[in-house]
Amino acid sequence: MNPALWVAKTGLDAQQKSMQVTSNNLANVNTNGFKKDRANFEDLFYQTVRQPGGRSSQDTMLPSGLMLGTGSRVAGTEKIHSQGNIQQTERNLDVAIEGKGFFQILRPDGEVAYTRDGAFQLNEQGQLVTTGGYLLEPAIEVPQDAQSVTIGTDGTVTAKMPNQADPEELGQIELADFINPSGLEPVGENLFQETASSGAPVVGMPGEDAFGSVMQGALETSNVNIAEELVNMIETQRGFETNTRAISTTDQMLQFMTQNV
Amino acid sequence: MDRQLYIAMTGAKHSLQAQHHNNQNLANANTPGFRADLDSFYQAPMYGPGFPTRAYAEELRAGTDFTPGSIMTTDRELDVAIQDQGWFVVQAPDGSEAYTRRGDFRQDSQGLLTTGDGHLVMGENGPVSIPPDSNIEIADDGVITAIPREAPEAPIEVDRLRLVNPDPAELVKSEDGLIRHYDGEPAQDDAQVRVRSGALEGSNVNMAESLVQMIDHARQFETHIKMLTTAEENEQTSSQLLRHPS
Repeated sequence: MNPALWVAKTGLDAQQKSMQVTSNNLANVNTNGFKKDRANFEDLFYQTVRQPGGRSSQDTMLPSGLMLGTGSRVAGTEKIHSQGNIQQTERNLDVAIEGKGFFQILRPDGEVAYTRDGAFQLNEQGQLVTTGGYLLEPAIEVPQDAQSVTIGTDGTVTAKMPNQADPEELGQIELADFINPSGLEPVGENLFQETASSGAPVVGMPGEDAFGSVMQGALETSNVNIAEELVNMIETQRGFETNTRAISTTDQMLQFMTQNV
Repeated sequence: MDRQLYIAMTGAKHSLQAQHHNNQNLANANTPGFRADLDSFYQAPMYGPGFPTRAYAEELRAGTDFTPGSIMTTDRELDVAIQDQGWFVVQAPDGSEAYTRRGDFRQDSQGLLTTGDGHLVMGENGPVSIPPDSNIEIADDGVITAIPREAPEAPIEVDRLRLVNPDPAELVKSEDGLIRHYDGEPAQDDAQVRVRSGALEGSNVNMAESLVQMIDHARQFETHIKMLTTAEENEQTSSQLLRHPS
């Protein structure tokens, strides 16, 4: 097949993948704690048909060689872990992280996953769980007769008990952070998983060292910027269109040849 | 048979090849830091016995367009764009020194700084290693400062990006898409090169120009094919004229 067609096809492929990334970002614009992705384009290898500096005749040299490119591709996607907006919700079990760090979530398979989504709820045993029903790690249990729950900026969870002047301490929310958060693997349900590329988690208290502080009654929204994504979408669409045009033009050339020769 | 047929055939073949080059540029219109390939036709005269009356057309990748691409602000601390002229130095997979304008840097799991397509970014002391648990700041002159999250009051100067600015006439694009010096010589560091962090340079492919070029190549191709059919018609006519009346 004609290589010119295949080069344009790689362009279509890459633009389509980029559109999928943009669509996924837009689809998650209202997902709590969602971090946007960015598609990384790269050019594919070149094929040397003739080495630069080759001879064009006995006495003359080619000024440059003949190297044919083989197209482009999306080499990977990267999560951009910038801070999302903090939205005040006034719900006492909504917790937002302001700064670095992730909540640790115990998944049913016993593995710990990480999230920035702090919309916690209580399960039937009074434990703090995610919207998906997974336990916060370390577990925090709210007694049934607690009148109110307070979460401090350092992650201390206390409850006001009836007939008790001092609030009772229920536990401590811990945060985990990674050398390379972009290397975390998103596994759906707003959760991330540790990988070789993210490095091992460093666990600490909110507000201490480099960790962000937590804020009760607030949620972190997604960091997707709709205007930016729409511009990306236009750019991708135009890229797709020109590559389609390249395919049809090359096709017309081949068609013209088969019809006329 | 006349050689017109062969000359028109080479013309058509190389127009199609030029289209291939152009498609490569269009396919990389969104690749960060991509430099467009320039193509040109070259006249290859016939040598050998007889008069050099014929010349074939050959298409060559005449080089690379080194004009800067458009800069987008991304506000990501590891996106770095070079202002005006200059290059980042990266380590190619074979260990050699190569240049790129691609500034979408990231950290690998060992904390080493790489470009978006995975090449190690070189500082003045070799590959740049970012200390864990720190925020990065890249100054205009390429100095990388790590601000430890535990001690923001004591920033550490990690390294300085190697920034070079060799004569564009001496640079060629290699098979891996990276730019290298013509004869492999390492370039001198240039203190004049300025970078901007939080911004990313796009590809320098001019879509409108490439689209027009695409139409141009297609029409040129059709002209060559037309020449092929004309040569065939001429041949037919002459054989008819010369046919012996029976």
